[in-house]
Amino acid sequence: WLVIAVGLVRAYLAKGSYHSLYYSIEKPLKFFQTGALLEVGVVFLHSYFPGIVPSSVVLTAFQVMSRVFLTWAVTHSVKEVQTEDSVLLFVVAWTITEIIRYSFYTFSLLNHLPYLIKWARYTLFIVLYPMGVSGELLTIYAALPFVRQSGLYSISLPNKYNFSFDYYTFLILIMISYIPIFPQLYFHMLHQRRKVLSHTEEHKKSE
Amino acid sequence: VESNATIREIRLMFHKSYPQWYPARQSIRLDPKGKSLRDEEILQHLPVGTTATLYFKDLGPQIGWTTVFLIEYTGPLFIYFLFYFRMPFVYGLDERFTSSPHPVVTLACLCHSFHYIKRLIETIFVHRFSHGTMPLRNIVKNCLYYWGFAAWLAYYINHPLYTPPSYGKKQINFAVIMFLLCEAGNFSIHVALSDLRRDGSRTRKIPYPTKNPFTWLFFFVSCPNYTYEVGTWISFTIMTQCVPVGLFTLLCFIQMTIWAKDKHYTYLREFKDYPSLRMPIIPFLL
Repeated sequence: WLVIAVGLVRAYLAKGSYHSLYYSIEKPLKFFQTGALLEVGVVFLHSYFPGIVPSSVVLTAFQVMSRVFLTWAVTHSVKEVQTEDSVLLFVVAWTITEIIRYSFYTFSLLNHLPYLIKWARYTLFIVLYPMGVSGELLTIYAALPFVRQSGLYSISLPNKYNFSFDYYTFLILIMISYIPIFPQLYFHMLHQRRKVLSHTEEHKKSE
Repeated sequence: VESNATIREIRLMFHKSYPQWYPARQSIRLDPKGKSLRDEEILQHLPVGTTATLYFKDLGPQIGWTTVFLIEYTGPLFIYFLFYFRMPFVYGLDERFTSSPHPVVTLACLCHSFHYIKRLIETIFVHRFSHGTMPLRNIVKNCLYYWGFAAWLAYYINHPLYTPPSYGKKQINFAVIMFLLCEAGNFSIHVALSDLRRDGSRTRKIPYPTKNPFTWLFFFVSCPNYTYEVGTWISFTIMTQCVPVGLFTLLCFIQMTIWAKDKHYTYLREFKDYPSLRMPIIPFLL
């Protein structure tokens, strides 16, 4: 993710505008975000190997799936949205979030976690989460007319397998699903924040 | 209470003191995190001293298994008809109440209906449940699943643009024969299992093959009823050549494999002389 961050900054400095930044970080983004699928496996293994980081399998799987979906099924598949500002919005949000999050896990495993990293992980999400979600939703919305026009990933009747799928409607349903899901994840993080940061306060006071 | 009191009697007494917690809702155990005690257990046979401490947990509102099955299975039966008879709100006003030119569509409706009517009859006359009830919220989940899938697959099979199977009559006839054999097999197993409890008991016994050839699958498999059920849905998939039916079949297979493995390992734990040739759901394989 640092690679992506550096890539973004370099490309911006080189070109002076932020419109085509997607192309400069396209490959590392796809590689690292897809690689995050491994994370779901790691979290699952936590139930067998308690040394590994504790985290909810369902929540992690959810987040990774939605990111992989945005990366491949929307941004990669619908070329016309790659120049949208909304793509930059979620890429920046993901990049900052992931750099902090992985630093948090690394330092935790090394048993030397600077308070700043812990604070950053449980505080910056307050802005980054809505930022990422907005970027994602705007990108999907921008992709809609192109999907409708090209019939991307859609199959219609009649066909010999008697099946139909409308990707356009599917994308709309995905957008709608953000409404019940996003608040739940957001409040979960807020709850975690209160738990984790106040716990540290108590530790400090007792010292 | 008397030392020879059963847990059932204790539950009834508890219910009198706390009318909102009827016996089916009570989980009584010896240890707060322990397993729920069965109705038939007698107090003096349990590992307690002169005074026993029992723990109570509220299982939430309960609903009877028979009731659940009746609701779960009646839904798909009638929902399918909405699509078969092409109610106006399903395929639009132009296609309302029309019928398909393909005989396989009527055949599929007959098979689907036969399957669920059979299940309803079994629920009322054949099955003997070991647990009386399940939590109420399960019924919402279960109905969404059964009813939802029934609507989804009925939509495609009865669609005006439905395409009949690629290999025509050969494919359909093969599927029908497989369907009837599997339905007969499934019914035979349910009857055999029910006969194990003809005396009204709720304890588990090892099922064995009987004179009925369909039950000979017990030589190879612990839960042949699930095996036959998957077979029924595979035959229905072949008959209709429809992807949603195939997906439903796959999900059924996964769910039933989980149940079969559970049952199989429970049998192995409880009975030392359990036949070693048996696999949970697929002979020699799974």
